[in-house]
This record gives sequence, C-alpha cells and structure tokens, in this order.
Amino acid sequence: MSTALYPLASLAQIRNTPSRADGIPEDLELDLRAYGCKLIHEAGVLLRQKQVAVATAQILFQRFWYVTSMKQFGIGDVGMGALYLASKLEECPIRMRDLINVYDLLLQRAAHKLKHPPAPAASTSTTLTRTVTHDFKYVPMSYFGSTFYDLKDALVVAEMQILKRLGFNVNVVLPYGTLVNYLRLLGLTEREDVSSRAWGYLNDALQTPVYALYAVPTIVSAAILLATRHLGIALPSSPESCWWELFDADWEDVWSVAGYIMRLYRERSPQDQARVLGLVSKKAVRAWLDDHQPIAPRS
Amino acid sequence: MDAVERANLERQRRWTKDQKIGEGTYAVVYRGRELATGRKVAIKKIKVGQFKDGLDMSAIREVKFLRELKHQNVIELLDVFSSKKNLNLVLEFLDTDLELVIKDRSLVFLPADIKSWMAMTFRGLEFCHRNFILHRDLKPNNLLIASDGQLKIADFGLARDFADPGYKMTCQVITRWYRPAELLWGCRYYSTAVDIWSVGCIFAELMLRTPYLPGETDMDQLKTIFRALGTPTEEDWPGHTKLPDYVPVGQFPKTPLRDLFTAASADCLNLLSKCLIYDPKRRISAKDALNHPYFFALPYPSHPSKLPKPAKKESGIPLEEVDGNTDMSGPGPGVKANPPNKLKRKNSDDLGGRPVARRLDFTK
Repeated sequence: MSTALYPLASLAQIRNTPSRADGIPEDLELDLRAYGCKLIHEAGVLLRQKQVAVATAQILFQRFWYVTSMKQFGIGDVGMGALYLASKLEECPIRMRDLINVYDLLLQRAAHKLKHPPAPAASTSTTLTRTVTHDFKYVPMSYFGSTFYDLKDALVVAEMQILKRLGFNVNVVLPYGTLVNYLRLLGLTEREDVSSRAWGYLNDALQTPVYALYAVPTIVSAAILLATRHLGIALPSSPESCWWELFDADWEDVWSVAGYIMRLYRERSPQDQARVLGLVSKKAVRAWLDDHQPIAPRS
Repeated sequence: MDAVERANLERQRRWTKDQKIGEGTYAVVYRGRELATGRKVAIKKIKVGQFKDGLDMSAIREVKFLRELKHQNVIELLDVFSSKKNLNLVLEFLDTDLELVIKDRSLVFLPADIKSWMAMTFRGLEFCHRNFILHRDLKPNNLLIASDGQLKIADFGLARDFADPGYKMTCQVITRWYRPAELLWGCRYYSTAVDIWSVGCIFAELMLRTPYLPGETDMDQLKTIFRALGTPTEEDWPGHTKLPDYVPVGQFPKTPLRDLFTAASADCLNLLSKCLIYDPKRRISAKDALNHPYFFALPYPSHPSKLPKPAKKESGIPLEEVDGNTDMSGPGPGVKANPPNKLKRKNSDDLGGRPVARRLDFTK
C-alpha cells in the first residue's frame, strides 16, 4: 500500500488550473468553487445527509477542478454528482429523485436572488415592502416537463465523470478525528470554544481548495491556529518549540491555509455576490467568457 | 479531448476483450489480454443503467476497496477505465474458484491441502481486516484460485470499511449459508467476526465436501445452525436474546464436532470450533487464527502449486499433483524429518532457502 492515502494536486495543476487555462480568472474560479460547495452543503442539510458524506463530496468537488475546466462542466451538475457519489461511498445513499428536487429548489432560489437582489440594508421601510413582494416561492417541476430528466441525465454523467477524471481514486480522509487528537495533545480539550471554533474552520475550509492542496495535519493545524489566535490562547510558537512542528506541518503551509480560510470572510460587493449566482451552469460560464473575451487572452 | 480523456484512452488501449465468460447482476465479465505482454486478465464491464440509480453501489465499493488493497491473497485490480458510458475494471485472471474445486468429485483433498487453503484465506482476510475492511460475502465461490494455486479473495461488492465503531450497518449481507447467527437476528453493529464465521463454514465445507449449514430460509438457517452446533445459552453468548430480531427457534443439544468430522485432527477441530463460536466477541480473529497451532502442526500446508485443481483438458497434470501431495503429507514421521527430494527442490524458490522450509510466513 502506498503511503499517500489521498491524492493532492500537482504543482502544474495548481499553477494553471484547467479553468484558468480556459480564461476564467483566479478569483472567479475560487468564488465558483466556494459557491458550488455551499450548494452541496445546503443540499446536504435539506436532505438531512450525514456530514461525512457532505464533506467527502466537497473534497471530491474541489479535486475535480484541478483536472477539469469550469467551461466544460457546470458547478451545479458536478456538485450534485459529487454529493450523490459521496453518499454511496460513505454508505448512506440518497435517492436520485430527492437530490434532484433539492438541487432544483436551490437553483430556482439562486435564480430568484439574481433577479431580485436583496436591497441594501440602509433604507428600512422601503426594503420591507420590497422583500414582501419578491418573496421566493418554489415552483415544483412540472410533471410532464423535461427538467427532471435533464437533471437526471446531468447527474448520471457527472457521477461517472468525477470517478473517471479523478482516476477512480475516491479515497478521502476527513480531518475531524485528527483535530480531536491534536487538541488532546495540546491540552485544549477542556476549552469547548476552541474545539467548536476549530471544527467550524475545518468545515468552512471545505469551501476552499485546501483539501486538494495540503495534507490533513496542515489543515488541522491551521484551524487550531485560527481558533487559538481568535480566542487569545497562547501556544508555544517561538523557534525550537513551535507547536505545529509536532504535527509535521510547515509554518508557511499553515499560514497559507489560514489565509485561504480567512479570505472566505472578507467583505464582498453585491456585484461579486451576484456574479456567481448566474454562473452555475457551464452554458453561463461560456457566455460569460464570450462577454469577457478582451481580458481573457492575456493568460 | 483534454488530458484526462487522453489518459483514459491510453489506458483503454492497453487491454483487449476476447470472450464473454460470465454475466452478473450488474456486470458482464470478459476474458481479455494485456496487449503488450499477452497476459490474461478478466475485464468486468459495469452496466450503467441510464434509468436506474447511476453507478451501482457494488461497483463503487469494488473500485474503492480494490484500489487500496494489494496482497497476494486478494484479487488485484490492475486498471480501471471507462468507455462511452461504461465502467471497466481490469482484474487478474483466475482459472477457477474453491466452489468448483470442492464440487469436483474426482479430486481428493488431503488434510495438508485444506490447511493450505485455510492459511491463504486467513492471510487475505487478515489483510482486509487490518485495513479496516469487512468483506461481508465470503463463500467458496468468491475464493478464486490462480493458475499457480494461490487463493485470492474476490468480489468486494458488499465490502465496507468499519473505522467508526458506533456505525449502524445493514444485516442483510453474506450469502445465507455462511451468515452468522447475530446477523440472522438482525444485529446492526458488528465487526470482523462476521467474516470469520463464514470462513468457519468454508473450513467445514472443505472437509465435508458439501455445504455445512445449508438453510433454506433465514429462519431455517438459524435452525440448521443450532441443529449442528446446539442452541446458544445465555452463558455461551450473553445478551443474544436482546438482539433486534431475536426469536427463539427451539432447543437443540450440543453435539461434539468430532461426531461429524471424524477424520479431522484435534487442532483442526479446535480452530474450527473457535471460528464458529456464537458470541462474536469471543470468536477468533483472523490474526489469532493464523497463529493457531493448527497451522504449525503436521502435516504442514501444501504448497499452493501442489493443490488439487479441477481437471481441464490436460488431465495428466492434476493426477501428478495429487501424487505429489500424497508424498509430502503422509502421516509417517519419516516424511516430516526427510521430505522427498523432488519436493524440496520445487519449493526452494518460494521459501528462500530457510531451514524451516515449510513454515508459512503469515504476517506478509
């Protein structure tokens, strides 16, 4: 058995992801990755799916974009396929019909949000009336329509493509057990706020590519770093006795993972927030690329 | 076509399908070859039903586990590729399986042969269990035999990992005749012991040459088990009456295994009885089984190449093999001290010239 239990992206794949090679700018790719993972997460919650399956799906999803361009596959379809596949891998399969219905709802809601963006919070009285008139109402798929069958086809294709493009390496190692061990080792188990906060960072990190880039110990160290710093807990951090060295993590890597996670919380403009809502399908991404042609060829 | 498609096509081109050799519920199996070397392989083409639930769970499990497992006694997954809408698993080609061997009435099994098959089964299973994988469908039909006699555990379609101890699992696994009582009574939390029970049944079947516990329904299966081994008491198996689907199925007395297995050695029956202990917690583990005195007692396990095999076209070969076995497993003390020269020569390759020539290295 090889020592590496899970595959990580190669340097070449990281430097120039397939999406970037197709002219999709880095920040847009990261936003789309994050949004795709949020959809997986929301679907998981609505389906009452286990977190192990949801996390596995998000990691497969992140890996997928190191071998495939978003011009070729949409984040909606691939996210749906990843959740379906991960549910089978983690022995808690879900029904196709349920998954498709949930994704249809999520996509309708995204389309609704795009059409009726929430008004800025400043004007109070007017927003109230406006939100009331544009309340989202889900319209179930029509019985005779093709929506269901289209989504189903896309789902079957996505599932197979994920398997195929990841070279059938579907091994995922989740970070939670490692976190518990590390906290124990650092004597932090008494502090419930540390563990729940670090746990939260690990979950949020699923929206970033870090699980496809760094080993689990590094990611867990970053989550502990963020949690302890935010709570003002001092750990041995001067050379010769740095706590992360216990876990074979390099400071630069830990810092980089922490950066990926913190970037998620930065203030975003309404335009940036709206941009991803409209780019869930590959069709939309292609149209976006056509519109932004002048900028693209530079890469 | 991007890099992924190209890589897939390249892999696909390495193999050719020759002839359909079997069809299962979710796959068609072909005999094939590696083009560059002519090596025989089995290609399992997974049917992807467009109108069903995407990829079959069994196929996914098989890919997931066989990608990781590499061991002499576990079937090797050589490659995976997809063609149009299908998934293809390239597996090593194995001539026959233990069920066919057992059924072939023309073959004579010696105690040393049975010991050899058991050792290989336990070695493969110990490797799976060490890697936290339950097989959940062990039966003679899933123990394949390579042309060199090596036994390999195959069909991981029901396998699953058990890293999480408190995880509920389905009890609808394992072919009925090889299913332990705890599963028949609906136990949802179980572990490696379920596989050991199956191995115990296979062990008995090798000696009897007929299935040991052939129940006709799940209920009848329990009855069959108890008729053979006695109804468990609270002392044998604390708490078994609290299992979800527990039903009393009548009282049967315990009969000594010796009554049925008249020719078996004491060591042999001791190991068999430890595989068939009702309480899963007390049932022997694969690792302990490998260290059981049975495997170190005479006669030593037959060399895989010497094991009986069903006759194919060349009927001369199996006969010769049987002869070879007779030589080396004869009970007389002379054989132990001084095995025939012919055998010594043939086995020296595998055993690396160590003085204890016939002791198997179980930890490999």
